Amino acid sequence: MATKEYDVLIVGSGHSGGMAANILTQKGISCLMLNAGPEADMARDRTTKTVWDLPYRGFGKPGRLPHVYQATEFTANQWVDEKEVPYTHDPAAPYNWVRVRLLGGKSLFWGRQSFRLSDFEFKAADIDGTGDNWPISHADLDPFYSRVEGILRVSGRKEGWPQFPDGNFLQADYANDSGSIKKISELGASRGILFSKIRAANGRNGLASSINLLLPDALASGKLQIVPNAIVREITVDKNTGLANGANFVDRHSRQEMHVKARAVVVAAGTLESTRLLLNSGIGNSSGVLGHYLQDQIYGVTVVASVPEARDGKNPEYMGGSALVPRFRNLKKGEKHNFIKGYGMLINSGGAASPGYFADYGEGLQKRLDSYAGSCVSASIYGERVPRFENHVRINKTVSDEWGIPVLHIDVRDSANELNMAKDAAATAEDLLKAAGWEILSKTDKFYPPGYSIHEVGTCRMGDNPKSSVLNKWSQSHDVRNLFVVDGGSFVTCGWQNPTLTILALAMRASEYMADQMQKRII
Amino acid sequence: MQTIAAAPAVPVLLTPQANAQQTAAPTAAQPIAATKAGTVAEPVTRFFTAPQFAALRKLAEVLMPPIGGNPGALDAGAPEFLDFLIGVSPVERQQLYRTGLDLLNARATKQFNKSFAALDAKQADTIIRPLLVPVPWPYDPPKDPGSHFLIAAHDDIRTATRNSREWGAAAAASGRRGGGGQQYWNPVDPIYKG
Ligand SMILES: Cc1cc2nc3c(=O)[nH]c(=O)nc-3n(C[C@H](O)[C@H](O)[C@H](O)COP(=O)(O)OP(=O)(O)OC[C@H]3O[C@@H](n4cnc5c(N)ncnc54)[C@H](O)[C@@H]3O)c2cc1C
Repeated sequence: MATKEYDVLIVGSGHSGGMAANILTQKGISCLMLNAGPEADMARDRTTKTVWDLPYRGFGKPGRLPHVYQATEFTANQWVDEKEVPYTHDPAAPYNWVRVRLLGGKSLFWGRQSFRLSDFEFKAADIDGTGDNWPISHADLDPFYSRVEGILRVSGRKEGWPQFPDGNFLQADYANDSGSIKKISELGASRGILFSKIRAANGRNGLASSINLLLPDALASGKLQIVPNAIVREITVDKNTGLANGANFVDRHSRQEMHVKARAVVVAAGTLESTRLLLNSGIGNSSGVLGHYLQDQIYGVTVVASVPEARDGKNPEYMGGSALVPRFRNLKKGEKHNFIKGYGMLINSGGAASPGYFADYGEGLQKRLDSYAGSCVSASIYGERVPRFENHVRINKTVSDEWGIPVLHIDVRDSANELNMAKDAAATAEDLLKAAGWEILSKTDKFYPPGYSIHEVGTCRMGDNPKSSVLNKWSQSHDVRNLFVVDGGSFVTCGWQNPTLTILALAMRASEYMADQMQKRII
Repeated sequence: MQTIAAAPAVPVLLTPQANAQQTAAPTAAQPIAATKAGTVAEPVTRFFTAPQFAALRKLAEVLMPPIGGNPGALDAGAPEFLDFLIGVSPVERQQLYRTGLDLLNARATKQFNKSFAALDAKQADTIIRPLLVPVPWPYDPPKDPGSHFLIAAHDDIRTATRNSREWGAAAAASGRRGGGGQQYWNPVDPIYKG
C-alpha cells in the first residue's frame, strides 16, 4: 500500500491547477495532482467525419446536453455528461453549467481571448458606490499578468487606457482596418466609445492549455505525479490541528475509495466544482459566504446591420476584420445610467445574414441571403453581472452523481441591473450602426441564461475580512491556512472581461506565496 | 473516408464505423447492392400521423425547393429525417410540431377545403406568409405558437437539407465547399454512453 505523503495535493488539472503545479514544482515542492476525468489522446479520440455520417445529421442527440448550447454533435463527447454528474436548478431560473473533466479541463477548448481586469473592476465599490472592492489592485497583479502573458504568448495592441490595461504583448502586426471598421471606430470615438483589438493567447500550435504550456515543465522536474479518473469526494482535515491533511477520492472505473495524504491542499477544480468540494467537506465556511456571489457575463445581446454598398458582392475590400470595444460606461464619477458597471463589445465585419432575419422562404429567401452575404457588421456584448449574495450554489442533499457525491443546486437570477445594461447595450450598438448609414437587420436585448459565457467566477471570494469572505488576498482559506483555492472562485467582481488571464495570474501569485510559506515552515 | 491514426487500444472506444473499417472491404469495382430504398418502397412514418407527415412534406417542398443545383428538402429526405428526429426529441418539441402541422391542415381546410398537402404554391403561401416573422435571436422564439412552429420547422428543414449526403454530393460535384469532414470527438473513456 502506498502511504507516501506529498507536500501538496492539487485537485484539478486545468489552467489553474496546471499553474499551481508549474510554480510549486519549480520551487522543489512535491505535488500530486488528482483529476476527475481521463487523459484524451487526440489521435485515438478524434476522427474525421462528415456531418451526414452522424446519427443525428449534426443536430446532436436531442436532450443529451440541454445546458451546453455550445455542444455540437461533433463535440458532444468532450463535455461532462449531465447524467453522470447532474446539477439542479429551479426550472424558472435555468443555469448553463458547461464543464470538461478531461485532463487539462477547459483549457483544451477555450477561445483564448485574454484581457486583464483593471482597477475599475478591482476597486469597483469605489466607483459603483456599492458592493465590495477586491483586497488587491491591478498593481499587485501586474507582474504576474506580465509573466502569464509571456507563457501564453498573448498578442494585443497597446492603448494606454486605464480601463483596458496594456500588457506584455507579442509584437502583433495589425493590418489596416477595413473601411467599415474604420467608419464605425470613428463614429464610436466621436461618442467617447473607444475601439481597440482583441487580445488573444497564441499558445503553441493553436493550443494554450495546461497540458502543453504548464504541465510539461512540472512533470520534467520529477516533482509531479498525475492520477487521472480520480474524483475527489472531500478534503480531509486533522481533527487536532484543523488543517487539511489530504483527500478522499474514488477511482472512476474501479469505484475503489482511496485516501491520499498531503501537507497542504490546492483546490483548482474550476470555480463551482471547487465550491462543491468545500461544501461537501464542511470546511472553509465560517463566514457563511461560501457558495455565494456567483457571477459571469451576460452574452447574447446583439445588433446586426448590413452595409448597402457591400451587397451583391460589391466593394469586398470595405468589409472584414474585427474590433474590441472595452468598457466605456460608468468610467467617470457622476455618470448617470440606470445600471452600474459596464460592458464591452465585439464588432465583426463581413459576415453573412442569418435566414431568420428575413420573413421569407424558398427562392425569395435565397436571393436575399446571396445579396446580403458578406455585407453584415455585428456588435455583440460582454456585460458584467453584479455580484449578489442571493446568486448562490448550495448542496442538494437529495441528488447525487454517479459516485454518490451530492450535487450542486444553482440559483442565479437576473436583476434590473443586467436587464437595464442589456437595453443600453442594444440601443448603443444600434445607434452606432445606424449612424453609419447601415440597415439594421436584427436587434435583441435578450441574453442567454447565466453560465452560458463559461466564465463562472465567485462563490469563494477573497477579502481582508474573514467574516465576509472565504479566502484572503493570497487565495488562502481564512479558516484552514494550508488550503488554497486558485481558480475563478476567488473573484470579487467578474468584470466584462474573460477571466482566464486573471485566474492564471492569481494562481501564480498564490502558488508563489504558498511555496514561500511552506519553505519558511509557516505552513 | 474517415481516417483512424492508430488502432484504438480499448475495444469499447470503437465506433461502429471504426469496426467496419477493420473488416475486409469488398473489392468489386461496382457495388452489387445499389438499389435505393426510396425507389422501391414507401417510407413508413414512425412519429407523425399520415396527415401530419403529408403536411410536413409539403412544407419542406415549399420552404426549401431545389435551387441553383442544390437539392431541395425532399431530395435530401429532410421530412423523413425529421420524423425520426422529432420522434426522439423532448416532448415540448414534439408538441410544437404536432400542433403546428395540425394547424396548417386546419387552416388549409378552412380556407380551401383541402389538406395542406393538396394546396398549390400560391394557396400554401397564404397560410405560411402570415406566420413568418423575423427572428432576431433563436432563443427568443415568437410567442404565437403557429409562428413559433413555422420558424422552428423552417430552421430544421434547412439544416436537415444542408447537412444531407445529397447536399454534400452536389457541393462536391460542383466544386463548391461543403463536402469536407470535421473533427469528431469519440466518447473518451465513457461511463455513460450518451
Ligand atoms: C469553449 C470555451 C471557450 C472559452 N473561451 C474563453 C476565452 O476566450 N477567454 C477566457 O478567458 N476564457 C475562456 N473560457 C473559459 C476558460 O476555459 C476557463 O476560465 C479556464 O480554463 C478555467 O480553468 P480552471 O482550471 O479554473 O477550470 P477547469 O478548466 O474547469 O479545470 C478544472 C479541472 O478540475 C477537475 N475536477 C473537477 N472536479 C473534480 C473533483 N471532484 N476531483 C478531481 N478533479 C476535479 C476537472 O476534471 C477539470 O479538469 C472558455 C471556455 C470554453 C469551454
